[in-house]
Amino acid sequence: MRQARLIALAVVLVVIVTAIFISAHLFRGHREGPAAGSAPLYDPYPPGILPSDLNAEIIRVQREVDFIEDQAFARWKALGQPILTGQPPVLQNTGTEATETLGELMLYDTKISPGKNEACASCHMPYSGFGGPIPSVNLTMIAFPGTVHFRAGKRTPQRHPYAPFFPVLQYNQVQGLFFGGNFWDSRATGYRLRIPDGEQAQGPPVDTQEMGFPDAACIAFRLSQAAYRPLFEEVWGEGSFDIKFPRETERICSTPGGAAVFGGSTTPVPPGAADRTRANTVYDHWAQSIDSFEQSVQVTAFSSKFDAFLAGKYTLTPDEMAGFRLFNGKGNCNSCHLAGRGTPLKSGQTDTSAAAQVNHLFTCFGSANEGVPLNPRDAFYYQTKPDSHGFIANPYGFGYRDLGLGTFLRSGFGSGPSPNLSWKQYAPTVDGQMQVSTLRDVAMTPVQCPTTEAPGPYFQKGFFHNGYFKSLKQVVHFYNTRDKYAYPVTSGHCPKGTTEKVDCWPMPEVRNNIDMTSGNLGLTDQEENQIVAFLQTLSDGFTKPYANSDTYTGACMRGGSAATQGNELLIPAPQLPPCASAICGVAPVPNPPIP
Amino acid sequence: MNRAHVIWAISILTVSLSAQVSPRSQETTRMRIIQGPEIELAKEHLTIINWTTNNPGGSPVQYGVVHYGTDPHNLLETAKSPIRLNPDHSSTVFRVRLDNLKPQTTYYYTVGSIQATGKSDVVKSSVNHFTTP
Repeated sequence: MRQARLIALAVVLVVIVTAIFISAHLFRGHREGPAAGSAPLYDPYPPGILPSDLNAEIIRVQREVDFIEDQAFARWKALGQPILTGQPPVLQNTGTEATETLGELMLYDTKISPGKNEACASCHMPYSGFGGPIPSVNLTMIAFPGTVHFRAGKRTPQRHPYAPFFPVLQYNQVQGLFFGGNFWDSRATGYRLRIPDGEQAQGPPVDTQEMGFPDAACIAFRLSQAAYRPLFEEVWGEGSFDIKFPRETERICSTPGGAAVFGGSTTPVPPGAADRTRANTVYDHWAQSIDSFEQSVQVTAFSSKFDAFLAGKYTLTPDEMAGFRLFNGKGNCNSCHLAGRGTPLKSGQTDTSAAAQVNHLFTCFGSANEGVPLNPRDAFYYQTKPDSHGFIANPYGFGYRDLGLGTFLRSGFGSGPSPNLSWKQYAPTVDGQMQVSTLRDVAMTPVQCPTTEAPGPYFQKGFFHNGYFKSLKQVVHFYNTRDKYAYPVTSGHCPKGTTEKVDCWPMPEVRNNIDMTSGNLGLTDQEENQIVAFLQTLSDGFTKPYANSDTYTGACMRGGSAATQGNELLIPAPQLPPCASAICGVAPVPNPPIP
Repeated sequence: MNRAHVIWAISILTVSLSAQVSPRSQETTRMRIIQGPEIELAKEHLTIINWTTNNPGGSPVQYGVVHYGTDPHNLLETAKSPIRLNPDHSSTVFRVRLDNLKPQTTYYYTVGSIQATGKSDVVKSSVNHFTTP
């Protein structure tokens, strides 16, 4: 009898301990540490490509991500009782914040990756305008490491504030131009959800070098286990997760995409057809929720000095105003970064134009090839060997050329499938083109490192798709002198007596379709600085604090000059092999041929 | 559908379209070259020819086009480069890149422009020439 009681007591104790464990897991699971270390490190890189502080910086960012995730949890808990009413049914009073908070919880959720170590925010933090959060990565390898340490992408993380305003990608027959989409190469077209920003959010979780799930169904699987699942069901409906996931789902979803074990399959999770459809619907709701957050005032805030200026509540300094005039006039920047204002053409002339009936988004939603030199520090070029999963990111090494929109229209290597065959014919007219990003928040930095420009204290960012430029001064100087100081060399090989990025610009990575609006603007050094001063007025957080811009816990950089910022880390590009036929040999081929 | 509905529909359509494309300015009836063409840059690997016109209007992207060759009566080669039109500027600078020309060679050329749609502008220069370094 006594033995039976002891057994019963033991069972009760086990149940209690198990319950406590599950409870703790449920409420703290989102802050679990990375699973990194379970697989051998992937390091195909020559010495000096990976920054020495990479591990420490990844941990630092993960800590910051968890901190913001905790705050988002608190926001959710503070939401009022949901009232679903009306026809069609609406979450009265709380619906907007519920959807935005759900998107925020997703954006900062590190469990949406096989290693449970990578969130969207790992590459997009608010203090850098939702661009790359690790200064040393921006300075060196430019593409951020993914769930597999250290696979990395091929381009800089594109800032996503104001991205929800980009329209569905279309070819405008009257203008003969492409407009819209998301991503540098516009491959998130919006063809299905009609929200390019949402379709963009569906990319990284299944990108082999980023968050890296092998199957889109894994997102639904992990969301079904998320502590914020009740909020998902509140917004998107009870029964959203009525999906029968097979027992092996966890094992499959813990294995990164591209692993040889999958044999090239992009649907290794074997749910039945109906369950896969439900899982896809969950993934669409993921996209819509994140789009909702990215369009919220927390991200797309319209709270810059420039917004205050438009409202008559801020007077631009003389340098900022001079920069604004140059931006619209001599610099001709507003030919594509539309400011929504008229153009004072002469010195002393006053801009008396009324604000146009558009949001001042500082983009034309188009694409352009500015002739940016190849950046030999881009981590993508070195991932030519298989990792421990048998995956090779870039079998072509330096034979890879980033043709941007052109490669996407061909459904080519390194991009995604194009949903529109009729666009393919235009590929040669857009080779080398990258999306014209909004300039809003281009200069945003953490509060304690108030600028992007040396001598600082500054926060190191990487500009353009391949991070070749390390300061806004260099960007403006490039637009101003690209052609004046053009040399037929690759980066790291400027002639003796010249200084790269000062009076030597290496040749463009892609020579085709180079935009010639700029390249020899005749701006003085002071005028370049004034344009930079104007760009700095476009950072949100002036009229009210920008959410979570104070979460940076890393260090600022100091010293040097903006003109040569980062030049100490230039490396000579190797002799480039011809462009790989998998890229430049796909019909309709580039015209003229790309060497 | 009454008149108010028609106006409402047109205004919605207009707003929706204007939100999705760059501003298209009205095409000028008489395009003319104001300045140039001239050789802006002549290096061994790169030559740039520019010229200035009144603002042609039309498509936001226009191409400067250079027909060139070593025989002034037979300009067999073509180079074209895109520029973004600034609808607020009264004039437009076209600049065209000619890559990897033969050294110490005299080339003859004419310049013109087309819209991104392929529609040709009427203006075309007389034949000029330059010699590469």
